[in-house]
Amino acid sequence: MQIYICVKHVPDSAANITIVEKNRIDENLTFLLNPYDEHAVTEAVRIKDNLPDSEIVAVCLGKDDAEKTLRSAMAMGADRGLLIASDKNHDSIETAQALKAAIEQDGNPGLIFTGKESIDAEGMQTMFRIGALLDLPVATNVVNLDIEAGRAVVDCALSGGTANTYELSLPCVIGAGRGLNTPRYPTFPDVVKSKKKPVKKIAFYDLKIEPSKAGMKIVELEPLLQKREPKEIKGDAGEVAKKILRILKDEARVI
Amino acid sequence: MNKKYDAIIIGAGVIGCPIAYELSKMGYKTLNVDKLADAGEGSTAGSCAIVRAHYSTADGVAMAYEGFKYWLDWENYLDNVTDEKGLAKYMNTGSILIKSQGHDWKKVQKNYDEVGVNYEEWSVAKIKEMVSVADLHEFWPVRRPEDPKFFDDPVKELEGAIFCPEGGYVNDPALSAHNIMRAAEAKGAEFIFNAEVVDIRSENGKVAGITLKDGTRIDAGIVVNVGGPHSFMVNKMAEGVWEGCNIKTKALRHEVMYCPSPEGYDYLNDGYHMSDGDIGCYVRPEVGNTFLIGSEDPECDPQEWVDPDEFYAGKGGHGKDNVLTDEQWKAQCYRLGKRIPSLQVPNQPKGVVDLYDCSDDWIPVYDKSDLPGFYMAIGTSGNQYKNAPVVGRMMAELIDACEKGLDHDKEPLQYKFKHTDRSTDVGFFSRKREINYNSSFSVNG
Repeated sequence: MQIYICVKHVPDSAANITIVEKNRIDENLTFLLNPYDEHAVTEAVRIKDNLPDSEIVAVCLGKDDAEKTLRSAMAMGADRGLLIASDKNHDSIETAQALKAAIEQDGNPGLIFTGKESIDAEGMQTMFRIGALLDLPVATNVVNLDIEAGRAVVDCALSGGTANTYELSLPCVIGAGRGLNTPRYPTFPDVVKSKKKPVKKIAFYDLKIEPSKAGMKIVELEPLLQKREPKEIKGDAGEVAKKILRILKDEARVI
Repeated sequence: MNKKYDAIIIGAGVIGCPIAYELSKMGYKTLNVDKLADAGEGSTAGSCAIVRAHYSTADGVAMAYEGFKYWLDWENYLDNVTDEKGLAKYMNTGSILIKSQGHDWKKVQKNYDEVGVNYEEWSVAKIKEMVSVADLHEFWPVRRPEDPKFFDDPVKELEGAIFCPEGGYVNDPALSAHNIMRAAEAKGAEFIFNAEVVDIRSENGKVAGITLKDGTRIDAGIVVNVGGPHSFMVNKMAEGVWEGCNIKTKALRHEVMYCPSPEGYDYLNDGYHMSDGDIGCYVRPEVGNTFLIGSEDPECDPQEWVDPDEFYAGKGGHGKDNVLTDEQWKAQCYRLGKRIPSLQVPNQPKGVVDLYDCSDDWIPVYDKSDLPGFYMAIGTSGNQYKNAPVVGRMMAELIDACEKGLDHDKEPLQYKFKHTDRSTDVGFFSRKREINYNSSFSVNG
């Protein structure tokens, strides 16, 4: 099975973001593999462990620098990379068109992964648009995935800690959620191996995508000014631990 | 009327606090002023707080060895003071110095012998026995991942290591400064925070006091610069001080990484501090079973000298601001990944970016100045955390001696260590010295 993973080259969430000309950011900062895509790569590697004839292809639309993100995906286990090179920033319509065209040109997908969202745009559209363009079923925020008897059985996380289970015909598009797995990060020997893996570069304009009448552009970006309000947590160690746990669960919702 | 103290100490980090503590014990009425909100919140908080004896000079080794005695007996050093935040803990992991071309380890060993430091020589087999995850090939010279040769296969094995059973780290450097502040307060010292010094006043050729940003004037016949990465800015505020230093200080940006320990390896509880010049890294355990990976400043790495105010404000852009860079993350983690091939390196950098108050030869300036009454404990160059309690006592004795008439420039103070049977010539740390080429010119000091 050919497994395609659509990965995105995104700014490090810890970076100091500077907005220039109202609608874009100064890109002189650290970019990396979108964290949700790490779950997609890890899951693809797990599937390949069970189906050793599979091939994992990471696909990315971005500037030349996005090759670094493809290299990260390959260090995590993707077999090769496809870079759709473009100097422009594209909306989700063009992005999905480009990914679909590049994947179709390259091979025959049995499964297509995306992250459930990118941490920069948070558009949450790409997986649905690819699914629609290819007439494939889509499930997103997937936290469990079983490939069995020519179908995918998935659990999709919903708010409030619940999940729905769906059965999808293959091929299908999976938006990987945080709970899908623990990302398996590369070791130095993995990085050395990945340097020998090929990256094929395709120019966006060579895909001859018919311009869509519909479109979306960023008019204005605004920095998020977070107000810090420190609170003192009092009590003995056990009480403090309980309170911290409650804050992390109920307020911060990180666990 | 202006407030008046015997001594004002600019900075309340891990060096500024013990100076206040020791001066207070000697009867001086002291005030520490710090622009941040609490003790140890500046570059002290970003310190790796490593306690190890290997230095490139015998004086450096002797001072570090003396420092151990304070960390080992922390509560007594603090005179059993209570700190509502709890006490910092010294974690004695033992310290491995890899024999490599990246360290003049023979000089270190000679210094150990001279000072009487307890150590063992470890073979490669012994290192492997103690650090099961290590690959003990030689990877020298240190390179960056941008260099294709970085990925060359190694051919030779290392020679071995020198192991000091005494060595490790302090688990919370900011807390350790806070502890000393509480101990100093118990002896009468005062501290004010969120207070930025904008002027150092002098009268009749002698220091007279400081002026704060809000206009407050505080008088003292003694002012001590312990401003950390801001030390050069503080020196420039005092008449003739900057010009009178042959050794200058600047703020150097530095990145330290946190990388999870390989699965199944309990680095937090079973690991050692390791200084590995062969890969240009030092490591120690950190909470969450992670490796804290510092850089030993290999020549191939860029040095970013920055304006400390811009840096702490998050300005300056990629590689100059207070955010880790992907380039250095990969450089340090992959270097350690050669030594520990099972180390998994996440894509997102995690760690600490802070500043060294770096001197021209990476050896500190512990000295008087050309302005009578103005003293300096600066240029700590990322390698003096461990010495802080010793420096506190030594600076207090230096200040006291100079105030009582010692001409330290002509007849340098000989400081007698309190725990080890040795003295050190404080003139070694003089601002007037020529650059000391015995130095490693790195964080190793």
